[in-house]
Amino acid sequence: MNTELHGMIATEVEDRNGKLGEYLEHLQSMALELERSMHAIAQHSLLPLEDSIANQQVLATRLSELANELSKPKRVENTDAPASGEEGLMENIRVAADRLHSLNQCYATLLKHSSHSIGLMVSLFRSYRGQMQEDPGTGLKQQTWSCQV
Amino acid sequence: MGGLNTSLYIGMQALEATQGALNATSNNIANSNTAGYTREVPQFTENASTFSSGLVYGGGVTLSGLQSVRDEVLNLQIQQQTSAQSSVDAQSSSLQQIQTYFSSNGSDVASAFSAFSSSLAQLSANPSSAAVQQGVISSGQNLARAFNSTANGLNNAQSAADGEVTQTVAQINTLSQQIAQLNGEVNQLTSSGKDGGTVQDQRDQLVQQLSGLTGISVSQSTDGEVITTGNGSVLVNGSQDFGLQTSTGANGFQEVLDSQGNDITTAIQGGQLGGAIQVRDQIVPGYLTQLNTLATQFGNAFNTAQAQGFDSNGNPGQNFFTVPATGAAAGISVAITDPALVAISSDGSAGSNGNVANLSATLTTALPSGQTAAQSYASLVFQVGNDTSSASTESSAIGQNLLALTNQQSTVSGVNIDEETTNLIRFQTAYEAAARIISTVQQLNTVTLDMGSGQSY
Repeated sequence: MNTELHGMIATEVEDRNGKLGEYLEHLQSMALELERSMHAIAQHSLLPLEDSIANQQVLATRLSELANELSKPKRVENTDAPASGEEGLMENIRVAADRLHSLNQCYATLLKHSSHSIGLMVSLFRSYRGQMQEDPGTGLKQQTWSCQV
Repeated sequence: MGGLNTSLYIGMQALEATQGALNATSNNIANSNTAGYTREVPQFTENASTFSSGLVYGGGVTLSGLQSVRDEVLNLQIQQQTSAQSSVDAQSSSLQQIQTYFSSNGSDVASAFSAFSSSLAQLSANPSSAAVQQGVISSGQNLARAFNSTANGLNNAQSAADGEVTQTVAQINTLSQQIAQLNGEVNQLTSSGKDGGTVQDQRDQLVQQLSGLTGISVSQSTDGEVITTGNGSVLVNGSQDFGLQTSTGANGFQEVLDSQGNDITTAIQGGQLGGAIQVRDQIVPGYLTQLNTLATQFGNAFNTAQAQGFDSNGNPGQNFFTVPATGAAAGISVAITDPALVAISSDGSAGSNGNVANLSATLTTALPSGQTAAQSYASLVFQVGNDTSSASTESSAIGQNLLALTNQQSTVSGVNIDEETTNLIRFQTAYEAAARIISTVQQLNTVTLDMGSGQSY
């Protein structure tokens, strides 16, 4: 029974460590994606921004799933359980999470500021009643007010 | 390395860069209807990346400046077409005015020829009638006046074009001065690493105005733009301007001199100045020559016919018309006032009307030019009408071309509100999605901290 329990615990520890490793990687990837987004916003580059946000959505979903799984209470047999190496991983995760947290704050500030400015600009454009410039060429003419809606 | 400080630094730079980019967009939209405004796009410089733990961390970006979107070749084409159109417009305007002198209004040369012919026909029927004889003199005077009036109209058009030369040269000098000053400002701005877009826009506007005044050639030097007339006379070199001058020539008209005092009148092409010179020195003189030739040849032919007959006093016919050697159309007049001096008789006998046929034949026989008087005049009228119509058509064609070029310039340099708005809305959508992720990441942080608290069972 003890051997069986040991085996189950060992599998659980291995599985948990695997998930912790994946969680760490995703936290770091998310941090990179946030940097990439800020970079794209600064460059006014839409496509890289949209691409990065799509990646962030995938990462955020997986991180939430992992966080739920990793937050479940873990089975502990006794004090002489084999060293899982979890402490080392957890330390790395904490560092990565702290960094992501700070980056996230920075990203949030940037988005708040930029969203406000963009919102004002959109209002300005929508209220614009001046003479519209008609560009030649069918491609450009497809970008009409109705197309936006 | 990719530490937190680096990330914060990237974020701060991103904020500044975004603000700059939005300012540029805001400025673009605010100036979307400003003539000559050139769209500005933000220029970003990517900072050096760092490499740490097998990962590459971006170094962020810096807004290095704003750059105006210009197409110099397109600008050049627009300048050339503007010159061409201004020249044709100047000609068209003068020609439309000139055309009125040739229009059929009862007192024009064609009507006067017709009335003169009628009076001669009446004379043939009633050669002894003093009233009819007087009618021939009166209609001759009307014909002479019609010539005078048309020639004076042409001379006035020529004088007006001459006046325009002086005025246009003064405008060219004013614009050259302003462009040189702006060249200096652009140089100062660019040498201090600033964007001279607004000043360049102002300068481009003035250069285009200048191209409307005269044909120019624009090139770049280290000191800024160099602008020369078509023949290479420098108007502007960097921050220095070289004014044109005018001086009264031997023909009484204004000659255009470059800053060195060289006469460049004949080399001026294009623009209002080129158009005015073309009207003054080519078009009007051409019409005047034809009108003078007609007046001279018809006047001489009629005088010859007069000389073939005898007047009512039995004397050989004397000159009916006085035809000056130069400026015949402007100066032609009827030399006799006494009706009895019309040489009606072919043999000097009373009651003879034998010479009336000779007098009348001057209207139906070809003059030395190969055409009858009426045909010669009709040719001249046709030419004036044709020139007027051609100038108008050409102006219209160049206008279309210029419109296409301006549209093309707007595509390159102008502000497309639809495009800007579409991009802004896409940004907004992306930001909304990003805001949801931020919220998720904030929740994750709490969960992660709890994760290591060692819950167990």
